[in-house]
Amino acid sequence: MNECESIERFIERWLDGELSGAENERVRAHVDGCASCRAAQRRLEHIGHALSRALVADAPKIELEPFWREIDRRIQEKTPWHQGLVERARGWIAAPRAAWAVPALIAVLIAVLSYEWYFPVARSRNNLATVESIDSYGRSVALLREDESKTTVIWLYQNPEGDDEAAEETPQPGPAF
Amino acid sequence: MKLLKKLPSRVLLFSWLTLAAGMLFAAEKQPQSVQVSIGTILASNQSDEFDAKLKGMESQLRVLKYRSYRLLKSESQTVPWRGERVFEIPGGRSLTVTPQEFQDNRVSVKVRLTQGQKPLLDTTVKIPNKGNFILGGPPHEGGALVLSISAGTH
Repeated sequence: MNECESIERFIERWLDGELSGAENERVRAHVDGCASCRAAQRRLEHIGHALSRALVADAPKIELEPFWREIDRRIQEKTPWHQGLVERARGWIAAPRAAWAVPALIAVLIAVLSYEWYFPVARSRNNLATVESIDSYGRSVALLREDESKTTVIWLYQNPEGDDEAAEETPQPGPAF
Repeated sequence: MKLLKKLPSRVLLFSWLTLAAGMLFAAEKQPQSVQVSIGTILASNQSDEFDAKLKGMESQLRVLKYRSYRLLKSESQTVPWRGERVFEIPGGRSLTVTPQEFQDNRVSVKVRLTQGQKPLLDTTVKIPNKGNFILGGPPHEGGALVLSISAGTH
């Protein structure tokens, strides 16, 4: 690509004042010394002037009122609540935000796992032994769980008939829980 | 700018690594064995004596409403998982303890109380690690035997 081809790509933006200081100076210096690029500049300026004239001439005929009315209507229009919700959800599901869901999940897990430390009542309940099964072979059994002293008691009552012959003990009435 | 664009993917990667590490640390290892301790206590209403050796579990024993508590015997044994250990209890009784599993920092133990060959009670109890439960009732010397059964992992 020669210098002229490179400059020609910038001429339109130069004429529109869109170039930075250094680029602007580079294009201006080249166009000043290059007949071909100056011709291109004039061509573009000519097209620009022609378009401006045409637009200015036709502008009064353009009915802008309905256009602005429609914009205003859309601004005022209330979107249904579910549509807003869908839009918001879509925003949250979008990849960059979804990345934060994992640390949030970790935080929730930590909170759940440390629940017992923050709520000692629940913790004390969990510090009690839990009886999963009892088979007392027909004898009466009492089960007591007491939170304050973290006590679980299984109390085995002797049969009134005294099936405990080997022990030769008098059956005790048992404690009054 | 490049760093900012890569931030979400880096956060995601870091989070997954943290989650994986957390799960690894949270996974409980099954301890090799269990220390089972049995305290045999005589509870009665014949006196107001409270054995000083039982001070640590006074609040638990007071739940039973007897007037007197005396430690008759204390025994500890290391028991492997699913292994059985027999503890001799006064009055010709015995207590067979079998640790079952360790889950949620609780030791599940199977306990069998027998009088000679005759079974008196079979129970399975989940005990908080290094915690205990009380098994009581068998009559002895005008009172009742109270067994404090505790289990803790090694």
